[in-house]
Amino acid sequence: MTLVAIFAMAVFAGVVGSMVGVGGGIVVVPMLTLAFGAPIKVAIATSLISVIATSSAAQTVFVTKGLTNLRLGMSLEIMTTLGAIAGGVTAVLVSGRVLQGVFAVVLVYVAYAMNRRGGDVRPERTGVLEATFVDPASGRRVEYGVRRFKLGAFLSLFAGNISGLIGLGGGAFKVPIMNVVMGVPLKATIATSNLMIGVTAATGAVIFYGRGFVDIRYAVPAALGILLGARLGPLLAMRLRSRTLGVILQVLLVVFAVLMAVRTVQG
Amino acid sequence: MAGGRHVMDPVEKVVHWVLLVGLLVSVALMGVGIVLGLVRHDGLPSGVVAPDQLRAALADGDAAAYLTLGLLVLVATPFLRVAGSLVAFARERDGRYVLVSAAVLTLMCLSVLLGRA
Repeated sequence: MTLVAIFAMAVFAGVVGSMVGVGGGIVVVPMLTLAFGAPIKVAIATSLISVIATSSAAQTVFVTKGLTNLRLGMSLEIMTTLGAIAGGVTAVLVSGRVLQGVFAVVLVYVAYAMNRRGGDVRPERTGVLEATFVDPASGRRVEYGVRRFKLGAFLSLFAGNISGLIGLGGGAFKVPIMNVVMGVPLKATIATSNLMIGVTAATGAVIFYGRGFVDIRYAVPAALGILLGARLGPLLAMRLRSRTLGVILQVLLVVFAVLMAVRTVQG
Repeated sequence: MAGGRHVMDPVEKVVHWVLLVGLLVSVALMGVGIVLGLVRHDGLPSGVVAPDQLRAALADGDAAAYLTLGLLVLVATPFLRVAGSLVAFARERDGRYVLVSAAVLTLMCLSVLLGRA
């Protein structure tokens, strides 16, 4: 039954999404178009709604643990919402083939970017948006400040843009921006990125909703499935290294990329 | 303090509760909608219910109406989170972040208008 199949797919997307700090849309969109035959814009709208669910659910864990930097998140959200508006408006206007092609490229980037995530940054006091949290794995208190805020904010504009355009939370872009560029420790980065994807996705979602691309048959099982998955993900992420899961996801993303590229060319 | 439980500050508390309540209400509505859909229509309806017909359809016990409302609550939750943060920052007299939150909320509301246009 389709309802159950979409639900199961979304549970998987929720687990991997919340564990590696992306919203799960990167799995939802290709699966819906390739396996369930959903039109790309319906798949994007469904993904955006699932991403909101992922964010809300995971935040109930992350905020309680004090991992989310709310002021940093809110500051960057100005840029990501601006980007999401531009992306969303573009997406509803251009042809679905263009969106599929862009998605294929982003899939390859995300698979590649996952590979590069080696060590964490060294936290340093900078006097900008400083915060502290207790690392759940080591129990140590981590104090950090933000570096290169203006560059990070500028890059966040593009993260939001991709999100609104092809229905991702944009976590795959926000995580390297905050971690590598802005020097925010990985645990705080994942939590803060997860907070931001809710707002970015909601901004894109209302544009798709208004244009009639939200369909109950896809959106409800996807949202509920991803909620269950996202509930499990952060609990697992606290305890184990997600390397194995990461490799499986990488392979899957490359397969998706090839299939979506083929469909883009064939039309 | 090291290793101790994190004590949430007022802004964190607002964010936590808004997201949790929004999520629970949304899931409850979708749950009701799915049960109604399976009992009365033998599956989930397609599309969404238009805003102007939503109240009447809810009163009728229409599955699509409950599912639509559940999705709307889900989408509205991040809006409420930003609005709630704005209020919490105001109570802390953090003027800078009242402005930042207001800017985010304004942009989000602008996207609602763009969806309709």
